Amino acid sequence: MTESKRKNSISRRSFIALAGGAAGAAAVASLGLHLDWETNNPKVDIDALGLDTFKTEVLVIGSGMAGLFAAVKAHDAGAKVLMVSKGRLGSSGLTPFAKGIFAYDPAKETLSIDEFVAAVSRSALGTNNPVYTRQMAEHSLARVNELKEWGFFDSTLYNKSFSKPIEERNIPIQERVTITHLVKENNKLVGAAGFSIDKEKVIIYEAKSIILCTGSGGFKPNGFPICDLTHDGTVMAYNIGAKVTGKEWNDGHPGKAKNAAACYDGWGDMFEQKPGTTGIEVHHDLGVDMNYVAYTNGSPLKMGPPGSGEKTEVSGGPFVPEEFSRQNSKPPDNGDRKPPKGGHGDGAPPGMGGSIVGGSSAGMAIHKSEGLVPINDQCESNIPGLYAAGDALGSYMSGGIYTQIGSSLSGSAVQGGVAGEAAANYCKNVEISHISTSKIEEIQEEILAPLKREAGYSPAWVTQTLQGIVIPNFVLYIKKENMLKAALAYVEELRDHHMPMLRAANMHELRLAHETANMIVSAEMKLKASLMRKESRCSHYRLDYPEMDPENWEAWINIFKGDDGTMQFEKQPFNSWSA
Amino acid sequence: MSIVSINGCIGCEECIKSCPTDVIRLNRDTKKAEILYPEDCQICHLCRMYCPVDAITISPEKSIPVIVSWG
Repeated sequence: MTESKRKNSISRRSFIALAGGAAGAAAVASLGLHLDWETNNPKVDIDALGLDTFKTEVLVIGSGMAGLFAAVKAHDAGAKVLMVSKGRLGSSGLTPFAKGIFAYDPAKETLSIDEFVAAVSRSALGTNNPVYTRQMAEHSLARVNELKEWGFFDSTLYNKSFSKPIEERNIPIQERVTITHLVKENNKLVGAAGFSIDKEKVIIYEAKSIILCTGSGGFKPNGFPICDLTHDGTVMAYNIGAKVTGKEWNDGHPGKAKNAAACYDGWGDMFEQKPGTTGIEVHHDLGVDMNYVAYTNGSPLKMGPPGSGEKTEVSGGPFVPEEFSRQNSKPPDNGDRKPPKGGHGDGAPPGMGGSIVGGSSAGMAIHKSEGLVPINDQCESNIPGLYAAGDALGSYMSGGIYTQIGSSLSGSAVQGGVAGEAAANYCKNVEISHISTSKIEEIQEEILAPLKREAGYSPAWVTQTLQGIVIPNFVLYIKKENMLKAALAYVEELRDHHMPMLRAANMHELRLAHETANMIVSAEMKLKASLMRKESRCSHYRLDYPEMDPENWEAWINIFKGDDGTMQFEKQPFNSWSA
Repeated sequence: MSIVSINGCIGCEECIKSCPTDVIRLNRDTKKAEILYPEDCQICHLCRMYCPVDAITISPEKSIPVIVSWG
C-alpha cells in the first residue's frame, strides 16, 4: 500500500481539507491530536507483507562512522559484507552532527600517547578502559587520513564521502531498514531480523558474524539530534544474552530555553560546518554539574563561554579533579581550532548564551561508556560472533566523563575498523547457519504484533509518558533512592502493561513502537544501575551518596538477562576484562 | 512547528532519505516529497541541507503534545 493511498482515507482527507492543507495538518499533528485513537486501523495489508532473506558473512548494522569503517575493514580483510541502516549512510544517528575528529599526530603533539592515556585516566577517575583509550589514539591518524582521501573534510554533509569507499568495494547497503532482532539458534548467533519502512517487508539476515554500529540512544529528547537512536543494538543484544554496561552515566548537554526542541538552532551554525581535526586537550566536562546547580539554585541558568565567570557558585555537587577544573584554567582559545567550541565533549555547547534548560540529550550516557561489554580489545562481546563498535560498544574509551574533544568520532572510526577486521577473521572458521522456519515465523510474529493489535497504546503517547517519568532533573541526573524507586515503579508498569500493547497503524508507527519498547527497557536499566551504584563519580551523581567510594566502587556495572528473564547486575572491576 | 513546507520539490528524494526520523515521504501521485509525520521532526535541518533546490522551510518552534491519560 502506498503512502498516497494511506493519506486518502476519508477521515484524513476531509480533515486536511478543513485544516487548510499540509501546514494545517502539521499544526494539528504537533498538538498530538489523532483521528483514530480509539482503535487501531492498520493502513498496511498485513497478510500481503512480504518476507525477504539475505545471506552474508559479516552483517554491519548501522551506517554512521563506526559502521563505515566496520564495513570497509571487514571487506578488506576478505569477508563478504552487507550493511543495513535504519536511516541512511552518513546521514542518521549522531555522525552527521559530529564535526570534530581527534587525530593523534606524533609529529605535532607534545604529549606522548602514554602521557595522554595517563591524563585521560586521571580525569576519568579510573572509569576509563585505558586499552581502548590508547587504541583510539594509536589508530586515529590512519583513520583520519583515509577519511581525507574519501573527501570527508570537503563537505558539510557526509553521505557522498561515506559512499565512496562503500561503492568502490561494491559493498551492498540496505537503507531505511529497522533491525529489531538478533537471532540465536542452538546457542549460536545465526543472524538478525527487521523490517523495511518503504517496502513493507520483514527481512531476515543470515550471517556468520554481526557488528552492531547502532549508536547510543536517548528518550527522544528535545534539542539533541538523537531522536532516531533508542539503544536498539544494546536492547537486541541484551535480549539474546549479551552483557551491556554504562547505564548509570549521563551526558549533561543542556539545551536552549528558547525553542528547546530545535537541535539545529541550539547548536549555532555547527551543523553547517565542514568537519575538522582536533588534537590533545584533556578535560573533565559535561557531566551533571549544571544539573546540580539548577537543582540547588533553581533555573533558569545563564551561561556564557567556558571560564567567563558566569557559573553560579554552589556548595557540593559532582567532584571535578583539581587538575581539570575549569575554574583553575584559562578560557580555552577557540580561535584557531576547528571545529569551534561545541564538538562532542567540549565544555560549552555553541550558541548557548542566554537561558538554558536541562536534559537536551536525556537518556544518553557519555559517548563510548554505554553499550555491549567487550571481552577483549577486539570489540568482541560475550556472544561469539557478535561485535560492537562506536557508541554501541561500552568500551569506556574515555570513561564516565568527557575527557577529549573529537575523540568520540575518532573512537567510532577506530573501533569500527578493529571490529570489522576481527569479525572477518572470525568468519574464516565458522559455517553459515540456516535460520529455521519456525524461528522465522516466531520473529515475524513479534515484529508485526503492533500492526495486528485491534487496540492498544500509541507509541507517541507511551513515549511522552515515559519522558515525563524519567527526564526530570530529580530522577535522571540528581539521583536519590526514593525517586529512583518511584520512577522505576512507573517504568515497570509501562514495561509490564503498556509495552505489550503498543499499536501501530503503518510502518512508520511500527518503527516507533519498537523504538518505544527499547526505550522502556533502557529506562529500567538506567534506573536500576543508578540505584545500584551507591556513590558519586564522573557523570553519575547521587544526592544521598555524594562522595566517591573507592572501597566498593572501583567497578563498572554489567547488565544481562538472567535465566528467568529478569534483569541481572554484576560488578566488573575497573581495568579488568569481563569473564 | 518544525518542518513547515516543501515548495518547488523536484522529486529527487534526497530529503526523504536523509531524514533520520522518517518525517517525509514521497507522494506517489504527485511524485513530490510531502511532510507526513511532522510530530517526529527533530529540527536538525538535514533535509534542508541535502535538498538540491532549497525547497524546504523549517521553523525552530515545536509544540509539545497535550497531556492525556491514555492515547
